[in-house]
Amino acid sequence: MTHFLKDLSRSRAGLFGFVLLVVIVALALLAPLLDLPDPTRGDLRARLAGPTWQGLFSPGAHPLGTDEVGRDILSRLIHGSRMTLMVASTAVVLGGIVGTVLGILAGYKGGFIDRLLMRLVDIQLAIPLMLLALLVVAALGPSIRNVVLVLALTSWIRYARIIRAQVLSLREREFVQSARAIGASTARIMFLHILPNVLTPALVVGTLELARVIIMDAALSFLGLGVQPPTPSWGRMLADGRVYLSSAWWTVTFPGLAIVLTVLSVNLFGDWLRDYFDPKTRSAK
Amino acid sequence: MTQPPVIEVNGLMRSYGGGRTLLGREKPVIHAINDVSFQIAEGETLGLVGESGSGKSTTGRAVLHLERPDAGSVRFRGTELSTLGQQGLKPYRKHMQMIFQDPYSALNPRMKVGRFVGEPLVVHGVDSGSSLQDRVAELFKLVGLDPSFMSRYPHEFSGGQRQRINIARAIALQPGFIVADEPITALDVSIQAQIVNLFQDLQDQLGLAYLFIAHDLSMVRYLCQRVAVMLRGRIVEMAPTEQIFADPRHPYTRSLLAAIPVPDPDRVRPDRPPFDVAANVPPREAPLIEVSPDHFVLDHQVQ
Ligand SMILES: Nc1ncnc2c1ncn2[C@@H]1O[C@H](COP(=O)(O)OP(=O)(O)OP(=O)(O)O)[C@@H](O)[C@H]1O
Ligand SMILES: [Mg+2]
Repeated sequence: MTHFLKDLSRSRAGLFGFVLLVVIVALALLAPLLDLPDPTRGDLRARLAGPTWQGLFSPGAHPLGTDEVGRDILSRLIHGSRMTLMVASTAVVLGGIVGTVLGILAGYKGGFIDRLLMRLVDIQLAIPLMLLALLVVAALGPSIRNVVLVLALTSWIRYARIIRAQVLSLREREFVQSARAIGASTARIMFLHILPNVLTPALVVGTLELARVIIMDAALSFLGLGVQPPTPSWGRMLADGRVYLSSAWWTVTFPGLAIVLTVLSVNLFGDWLRDYFDPKTRSAK
Repeated sequence: MTQPPVIEVNGLMRSYGGGRTLLGREKPVIHAINDVSFQIAEGETLGLVGESGSGKSTTGRAVLHLERPDAGSVRFRGTELSTLGQQGLKPYRKHMQMIFQDPYSALNPRMKVGRFVGEPLVVHGVDSGSSLQDRVAELFKLVGLDPSFMSRYPHEFSGGQRQRINIARAIALQPGFIVADEPITALDVSIQAQIVNLFQDLQDQLGLAYLFIAHDLSMVRYLCQRVAVMLRGRIVEMAPTEQIFADPRHPYTRSLLAAIPVPDPDRVRPDRPPFDVAANVPPREAPLIEVSPDHFVLDHQVQ
């Protein structure tokens, strides 16, 4: 742990991403404990109030303004992050596990399994992701679990394709042959020799995917298929606020900014994490 | 040879390619090895020499059944391997190992080298826990490495050290036979002699038999009792080492001998036209004939 922090403090971008991510996650986790206005209760006398610093610490203050029914935007942002982060990270981890395992299986075993899985990927790639997501959510009904499933479904193929390509070249490396020469089982070779060597690309895909999935989750909410009102989510806020874009810029700017900052922090931290897990760059520093 | 051989290879074949491409064009078939036969006695070293692409590595892999030969028989201490399945082969894997050509790609970059060396013992359930650690430390010492290196990753080692790690892994299960595929070619000249000595020492201590692959004759001279010369997938000449050097019969063997650098500048080497491999593809059906005791030459070129 101390090694982790020491190494991290040496990378400015990594540290920035990490701190930002910690702040975002901490705010999400601690949201109920913060003395924030109720994110679902509107105040019709204060509809579309602009951001203001006045009376910041007084009970009725809205530092980031209010939305079209007078709900506090700051409070909705922080409460909304809980849903967004949970949905996105669950989906990315789920898709990552499935995609990595199937990618290794396809790449190492080849043959029928490989052909089957790669055709599946091709078919899925031929259908626009958004359309697929819409179809599935429409069929299963909009619930948080279904949104997670749909996002994971759009995610696994990205892992699977990249991991498979990696495995195809790893498979020919002599240490894999050497594992066969000592009589190691296929499972052992796949999980002890191949898997650790594809974790770095999987992690890279993971950070890219987290960013993509956050945006896609927002898009689903935007279309009314994600989190249902009045529960706040960033995508919903964007969707509801867009009508007022010209008159009340704060309704969309702040949720948009929240998405951008989260994606940025994940990417910066992910970049550093990739180097950290690579034994070569770790000791070279 | 009173003892039965540790390895007995007969009529081994392996080809690549064939079939058709997506567009229905026929892929050419490459006969990587063709009718390869030899025996190695317990504790003996057979050198296998030939140019790049002559099928040396393929022979090594096929003998160990890392890839199945298309035809032919391989017997390990009398047991036919070709009829065994993957599970059936596993107990024999304990006794036969391979050391690979490229010490850089032969180590798993994400596995600490101590664990890598000890892995065969774990796979075969021979050792575990602290006795495994002790055994691995012993192996490190045996190949001339400091046991404190056990917890390091491969990238921290030089080529010579990596090859020692590979050797430690290969001897972990105390095999009787090792295929060493050009184990010193990728190393610095200054290191090569050390590794050759290590092979020799281990052979003396453990009674190992080697199939020692090299691409020129100078490397095998001091290590091998017998040498087989390979050309385009066929063994064209096989004889005791002194015999090969004193009385080479096949023109390809002669050209390999002529290619050895001469340390003595006064010794004049007779000029002879370079051997043209393309014009001398060994015919597929030609048999090896014994021109003198234990000295075999491919029939088409006996001189
Ligand atoms: N996996 C494979 N797929 C297709 N062709 C192969 C394969 N392995 C080897 N070959 C072909 O078989 C022939 C013999 O190759 P092999 O690797 O055994 O030669 P080698 O004598 O070990 O050469 P080198 O000294 O370069 O290691 C070559 O023509 C090679 O292209
Ligand atoms: Mg080779």
